[in-house]
Amino acid sequence: MSEPTETPPVQDSAPFRHLHPLSIILKSLSMIGRNIVAIAVLHFSLFDQNIAYTMLAAAALVVLVAGVTALIWSRFTYQVTDREIRIKSGLLNRNNRSIPFDRIQDVSLEQKLPHRLLRLATVALETGSGGGEDGQLEALTRSDAEELRDTIRDYKAGRNAVSPDSIEQVATEEAPALFAMDNRRIFIAGLFNFSFVLLAILGALAQNLDFLLPDDFFDPRNWFDALPDQQIIDGLSFWVRVAGVLGAIFSLVIIGFVSGIIRTFIREYGFRLDRVDSGQPGFRRRRGLFTLTDMVMPIHRVQAAIIQTGPVRQRYGWYHLKFKSLAGDASGETDHSAAPCATRAEINAVLGQCAIRSPGETVPFHQVSSALWWRRALLAVLLLGAIAMTSGTLFHSGFYAVLLLAGPVSLFLFLSWQQHQYVLSDGQLFVRSGWWRRRLTLLPLSKIQTVDVSQTAWDHPLDLATIIIGIAGGSAVAPLTIRAIGLDRASDLRRQLLSRTASHPAIG
Amino acid sequence: MTEHASKSSSDARSAADDSGLSSSYNQGLTPLHPPQKSLIRVNMVLRALVLLILASVAELLLYMHHDVQAGTILLPAAVLAVLMVSVLPHRIYRRWGYDMGDAQLRVLRGYLWRTDTIVPFNRIQHIDVAQGPVQRLFDLSTLIVHTAGTHNSIVTLPGLATADAEAMRETIKDHIRQDMI
Repeated sequence: MSEPTETPPVQDSAPFRHLHPLSIILKSLSMIGRNIVAIAVLHFSLFDQNIAYTMLAAAALVVLVAGVTALIWSRFTYQVTDREIRIKSGLLNRNNRSIPFDRIQDVSLEQKLPHRLLRLATVALETGSGGGEDGQLEALTRSDAEELRDTIRDYKAGRNAVSPDSIEQVATEEAPALFAMDNRRIFIAGLFNFSFVLLAILGALAQNLDFLLPDDFFDPRNWFDALPDQQIIDGLSFWVRVAGVLGAIFSLVIIGFVSGIIRTFIREYGFRLDRVDSGQPGFRRRRGLFTLTDMVMPIHRVQAAIIQTGPVRQRYGWYHLKFKSLAGDASGETDHSAAPCATRAEINAVLGQCAIRSPGETVPFHQVSSALWWRRALLAVLLLGAIAMTSGTLFHSGFYAVLLLAGPVSLFLFLSWQQHQYVLSDGQLFVRSGWWRRRLTLLPLSKIQTVDVSQTAWDHPLDLATIIIGIAGGSAVAPLTIRAIGLDRASDLRRQLLSRTASHPAIG
Repeated sequence: MTEHASKSSSDARSAADDSGLSSSYNQGLTPLHPPQKSLIRVNMVLRALVLLILASVAELLLYMHHDVQAGTILLPAAVLAVLMVSVLPHRIYRRWGYDMGDAQLRVLRGYLWRTDTIVPFNRIQHIDVAQGPVQRLFDLSTLIVHTAGTHNSIVTLPGLATADAEAMRETIKDHIRQDMI
C-alpha cells in the first residue's frame, strides 16, 4: 500500500493510498525541531542541568512524536478517482473529504529543502472556499505529484485518458518563459523590499534563547552600571556624537536593505512564469531558493490584475504584477504574484496572455472629490491640536511640537488623494490608489460579483458616496473601493459597472 | 436612481401608500413586509431593557458611593429607551427597501450609514431562507444570498413575508446555472 502503484488512477475504484513513508520522518523531525527549545529550557530549569534526565526526556519526546506521527500517517489515505479526490484523515475524529476536480481552482506543488533532497513534493489543492488550503497531500514522490496534477488538468480539459505529454515535458520543450527573473533583477526587487524583519528575527532569537545569556542580561540596573555614566559620552566632541547617531541610523538602513534582499532571494530565486497550453491554458509559476513552489493557475480563473509600485520604484520603472484569483497564494498572500519586479512592457506582455489589458497612455483618469483629503486632514489637525493642547498644558510645553506633524500628515493625505483615480474604459475598470503603496487595479467588468454604494454620516452634507466592488477571491479586508465621488456619479457608474454581468458567465 | 425600480415597485408604491409611508425615504423601492416594524420594535424593547438595567446598576453604584442627585443616569436612559421603542422602529423600517429586478436584486438600508447593494442574479452561488423564533411569530423570513465575492459575499434581506421570500428564492434559483464555478 505504501508504495505508489504505477497504473494511472482513472477508475472509480482506485485504491486508497498512503503518503510516502518518508513523510513520517520528515514530519517528526520538524515537530522535534520545534520542541527542542522546550527540552533545552527543561535542561536548564527543571532538570538542573542533569544531562541524564535531559537525554531521557529527549528520548521520550522522540518516541512519542514518531509514534503519533506514524499513527496519523497510517490513518491518512487518499484516493484519486476519475472525477474527484477523496481524503480520509484523523485519528479519533475521522474526516472524509471529497474534492471534485471541477471545484479545484489551482494546483501547486511545493518542495521544502528536505523534500527536495528526498525528491518528494507537497500537493496543495485550492478550491477557493476561503480559509486556507482545502486539500493538502504532504510528501508524495515528485513524479506522483506531477501525475496527480496532470490528471486534474486532463480532466479539466475534458479528456479522460492521461495525455502522454505532462506539463513538465511541455514546459521544457517551449523555451522562452513569459517572464523570468535573473539574479540581478531579484537583487533590484530586494532593494525595494526594504524591511526590518531581520532586526525582528534577531530580537525574537534573543527572546527565545535568553537562557544562553547571563542571568541579569535584561536587568536594566546592570546596564546602568555598565555604562560609566555620561562621562565618556560627555568627553566626546559634538561632531563625534553626531557621527555616532548617523552611524547608528546608517547601520539600521543597511540592515533593512540586506534583510529585504535576503528575503527576496529566498522567496523569488529562479522566478519563472510560463504559459502552459496543454489542456486548459494556464499560468505556471516556479520560484524559491529553499522551498521550491510550482503552481499552475488556469488563465480564465484570473479575476483581476493588480499592478503595484511605489514612488521610488516607479521612478526607476519597476512594477509588481499580481493576479487576483479565487484561491489565495500558498505563502499567505491574497493575490498570486505573477511578476515581482518588471517593466511596464514586460507586464503588458504577461497581461496580453489573459483577457486583461493595460490602460492606454491617453485614457483620461477621473479624479475623486478633494473632500477625500481635506476632510481627513481637518480631522487629523483637530485631533493633533487636542493632543498638543492637553499634553502641552499638562506635562511639558515641548509637546506643542506635536502640532508640527499636521504638515506631513496633510501632505501625505493630499498626495494620496491625487493618486486616487478611476476610469471605465473598454469594458474594464481601472482604479488607482495610494501614494506610498501605489496600486492600479485592472478589473474586467464581467468579473464583478456585487456593487455597493454606501454613504457614511459625514458623507451626507457633501452628497458623496463610496463604491465598493465585490470580486471573487482577493482580500475581504481591502476590497476594491472608489472613495468620495458624487452620489449621482456613483449611481451612474454602478449602472455601467453592472451592464456586463448579465451577458457573461460568472467566474470562469 | 429610480430607473432601477422595475415593475415590482408599482406594487411597492401602493403598499407604501397603504402604510402611510412616503416612498422618498427608500427611493421608491419595495418596502419590507409591515410586521417587520413590530419585529424591530420587539428587538428595540429588548435592547431598551438591557439599557435600563445597565443604567439602574450604574445609578445605584453612583448613588451609594458618591453624592449624586437621584435620576442623573436613569432619567436620560429612560428617555432614550422610550425614544428607541416609540420612534426608531418606524424610522429604521422606512429606510429599508429592496427591488427584484429582471436580473438583479437591490437592497437599500440605513440612513446615516447608508448602504445600497446590487447583486446580479447570475452571480449568486446559493440562497438561504432563514427564520428565527421571533420572526416565526410574525411570519417573517430572511432571504440570504451568497456570492463568490469576498467583500459582502453574503447579502441579507430581513423582514420578508415567508411566502414572498420563498417566491423570490424560486425566481433567483431559475437564474442560477449549474456551470458557474
